[in-house]
Amino acid sequence: MMETFWNTIASYNAATWPVQLVLICIGILLVTLLCKRPSRGVRIAMKIYMALLNFWIAGVYFLVYCEPRQYHSPQALFWAIMGCIWLYDLIVKHASLARNGHHRYFARVLFAMPFLYPLFSLALGRSFPMITSPVMPCSVAVFTIGVMLAFSERINIVLAMFLCHWALIGLSKVYFFGIPEDYLMACSIVPALYLFFREYIQAHEGQATKPSTRVLNSLLGILCLIIGGFVLFTLLHQFNLYTTI
Amino acid sequence: MKTRHELTEILDFIAEYATYLLGSGVHTSRAIRNSQRIGQSLGVDIQLSSFQRSTILTVRDDESGEAITRVVKIPTLPISFERNSDLSALSWDALDEHLPLREIRRRCDELTAKPLIDPIFVLLTVGLANASFCRLFGGDWTAMAIVFTSTLVGYAAKQRMQAHGVNHFLIFIISAFMASLCASAALRFDCTAETALATSVLYLVPGVPLINGVIDIVEGHILIGCSRLINALLLIICIAIGLAATLLMVKDSLL
Repeated sequence: MMETFWNTIASYNAATWPVQLVLICIGILLVTLLCKRPSRGVRIAMKIYMALLNFWIAGVYFLVYCEPRQYHSPQALFWAIMGCIWLYDLIVKHASLARNGHHRYFARVLFAMPFLYPLFSLALGRSFPMITSPVMPCSVAVFTIGVMLAFSERINIVLAMFLCHWALIGLSKVYFFGIPEDYLMACSIVPALYLFFREYIQAHEGQATKPSTRVLNSLLGILCLIIGGFVLFTLLHQFNLYTTI
Repeated sequence: MKTRHELTEILDFIAEYATYLLGSGVHTSRAIRNSQRIGQSLGVDIQLSSFQRSTILTVRDDESGEAITRVVKIPTLPISFERNSDLSALSWDALDEHLPLREIRRRCDELTAKPLIDPIFVLLTVGLANASFCRLFGGDWTAMAIVFTSTLVGYAAKQRMQAHGVNHFLIFIISAFMASLCASAALRFDCTAETALATSVLYLVPGVPLINGVIDIVEGHILIGCSRLINALLLIICIAIGLAATLLMVKDSLL
């Protein structure tokens, strides 16, 4: 199974690296423009880019190159739905994608994360094309979280939940298949989720709902601690695996 | 003896009160009992007959024999057991304390204006509840975690679609499909994947209409009981369609 996993990644990277480079350059350009000149056109372009990126992962990565893997089509559909959510967002103008000035440093770390993926793979002794690249599901998921944190006044909660689910799958992959690269995703999603929910709770503070903001924040803290505990457990499990090997 | 204006005022309040109860997940005989109790406290006889979408109400003054009838639409409201219990208690207060209509209305408005539960709190607790269902059906920790996040996805989508006024049945199909699609990720791991898949849609099961339907039939309100059961059955079919779409995709069969 692990062999199939890495072989599909290798064939994907070998065949698509020029397109991946183009996608990365467009991504860098759009993020820079959103930071420096966030015009309406740039915001629309960013949403189209995000949709395109998700459809790319669904169609090219999962449907074409991951065909030898079991259950690749549900994953393709999963990413296609996320792409549709971005398109829907574009139509109904849900997320403003205006620079909100929140979590500036954390967002920068998340934007840098897709580039850490290949470095992490190289550090683990792998070589191109059998490495995780910036245009792969987990890197794109981390990048999406960065975009949402840095540029969204109103978080799309459905998209956030999709990413939360994907992070959990990443954590399970670390535990069951020993792919430590997915730690980057799991480690970034826990604080990001905390921030998403905390912002949501703060935004709705004045509304007549219950329980109180304090209780909601406590519940959120407990949940994040539990997820953090899972991350730690998986990490220890990995160490145990490595020492056994 | 009540004037026509007084009778109309009572009828208007009872109409609001009874339809609020029926719309918030109270079974028919309880709504009738509560309404009649308030009517008794105000010295009038209330007769109520309910259907799935509307209610026919008659208020009759025993002394003058004058009666007024109205047909009222039942609103779709979020199910709240706390509110139902509060409103039932109000009917007892009205009878025991001989409250005037104005005071009953004031208390009723106070109770219905109570804050609702935060949607994010509901989202997280529904996720935890569904993960617990997974455990109850023999799921392991990995399956539970996957069911938890799958439920978050499905329920968040359901909340958004409800906010946008999407068709009720379509919401159930899409939510069931999304939740089960996410739960199908469990198939890739060495865990109780079948349990995860099966329990990922349990948060959608229309428990309240099912229970109310049975209670209504048992207590003689056959028509509304059957309507509620048919409605619940249609929702269950929608859940099955959503789950079946995922199963056909990931397993090429329904079993």
